[in-house]
Amino acid sequence: MEYLYGIIIIIGLYVILATSFNLIIGYGGLVSIAHPVFFALGAYTSAVLSRDFGAPVLLAMLAGTLVALLASIALALPSLRVSGDYLLIASIGFQLGILEVIKNVRFTGGPGGFTNIPPFLIREFGRESYVVLVLAVMIAVILLVWWISRSDYGRAMSAMRDDELAFSSIGRDAMWMKIAIFGLGSGIAGLAGSLYAHYFRFIAPEQFEILQSSVILTMVVVGGLRTTWGPVVGALLLQALPQAISFLHLPPSVLGPIQGILFTGLVLVFMFFRPQGLVPAKEVWRAVQRPTGKAGENR
Amino acid sequence: MAGVLEVRDLSKSFDGIVVASHIDLTLKSGSIVGLIGPNGAGKTSLFNLISGVVKFDSGTVLLDGSPLDRLKFHQRVRGGLSRTWQHTRLFPSLPVIDNLLIATHDYPGERLVNVLFGRRRLKAHDSVARDKAVGILGKMGLANVADDLVSDLPYGQQKLVGVARALMGDAKCLLLDEPMAGVEGQAYAAMQRVVREVAESGVAVCVVEHNIAFIRDLCDEGVFMFSGAIMARGSVAELIRDPQLTELYFGH
Repeated sequence: MEYLYGIIIIIGLYVILATSFNLIIGYGGLVSIAHPVFFALGAYTSAVLSRDFGAPVLLAMLAGTLVALLASIALALPSLRVSGDYLLIASIGFQLGILEVIKNVRFTGGPGGFTNIPPFLIREFGRESYVVLVLAVMIAVILLVWWISRSDYGRAMSAMRDDELAFSSIGRDAMWMKIAIFGLGSGIAGLAGSLYAHYFRFIAPEQFEILQSSVILTMVVVGGLRTTWGPVVGALLLQALPQAISFLHLPPSVLGPIQGILFTGLVLVFMFFRPQGLVPAKEVWRAVQRPTGKAGENR
Repeated sequence: MAGVLEVRDLSKSFDGIVVASHIDLTLKSGSIVGLIGPNGAGKTSLFNLISGVVKFDSGTVLLDGSPLDRLKFHQRVRGGLSRTWQHTRLFPSLPVIDNLLIATHDYPGERLVNVLFGRRRLKAHDSVARDKAVGILGKMGLANVADDLVSDLPYGQQKLVGVARALMGDAKCLLLDEPMAGVEGQAYAAMQRVVREVAESGVAVCVVEHNIAFIRDLCDEGVFMFSGAIMARGSVAELIRDPQLTELYFGH
């Protein structure tokens, strides 16, 4: 059972990561590869605060979320002021740099990782309760991103993606909207990180490598950019795949490469045959609800 | 009388290519100024400089007496300086009505606090904005396509939507970049009527246009531009009659 719980939690966390990344790259149109490092910032902040500073786990998790959010704003502010493209370059540096720092300072446990992270809920209510917690957060995140995309804010995001100059010409500032989207998406990644830390109770830098970024991106692209269910389907599929391979009882030395080949192959196949992903997005913005008899009724 | 928009000694060059040279221009409340001149004369560039899409090298732009020089494009728009685009630049993923609704200058519906706790106020705000948008569309004869996607409309109607969108923000000054290009039939008449009505409501309007008939029928004053400089001003009829300007316009 413990094995199954672990898988469910990992899948749940990847759904959260993919959904929040969809907010950034799909709805916000922002290209970043630093999602794993915000995941890491959440995990490490929460782990360090709760183990070494005696902070209650719930508070530490909140702090983890907040640190990821603030770090993302600090990253986005200078790069988006220049132009959107700089965010990609800055995010590469940020991803590599922060991970290098984590590897080289003492209080994070260095390259060996950070152990003995205090558990949360498990001792009192059993592992099931943590599964419920992760799934609840997952559903909340899916609902939040769904609601944002269909709200007035989603309408504005849609317009900003359509034409940034026209967006300015109606008196609106694209930069702050991008920063808000990036901050929220990265903050959610931080929350996922702190949830990860207090279940598996061990974190190490290699879990947050730049490769993770391509895994998350693959989930969103294969699933379907700018859709509610795309990242969910993508995360399920791409997490189930390695599990399925592991049942083949292949020697560990070939398992890794085979996984890599499968992932890359999957992206290539999708690029060629189904660029819109498994769940195709509607290119038209749709509202949560409409006053009767007005726009959107008959579509 | 001081103008709503005052452009004083505005200059700009890109790597030695002059796009604006010591431009002085005053736009007054309720009057329509037509900017004419051959392609490449710097008419659209002047709009870009005034609205802040491109930064100018020297000079100043005043809106209601306060300088705009340090403000960004979107801030100038919020201050009451609105503009349209030669190639519409609408939001294709939104229906016509939402292209307008999104262009109001306050949007409480995008604040989470309001959505959670201020439903009634939001509803009131929404219906005010909706009435305004529907009213503007009605004037343009577009009420029946309010729910259509902008990309499904004929080009002439898209141009009208562009002007409608620019009117949602209560502009004091409106810059229209070739509003008639590609517009014919009913849309032509609607555009003419709307631009006149906008000016009559007290907005200072400036039009860049190659359609001389449109300019002649509508504009109180004409300004002739050539290679980044203003060559002549006066009534449009006078400018059209000037053989020298005609030669500049059509080339040698």
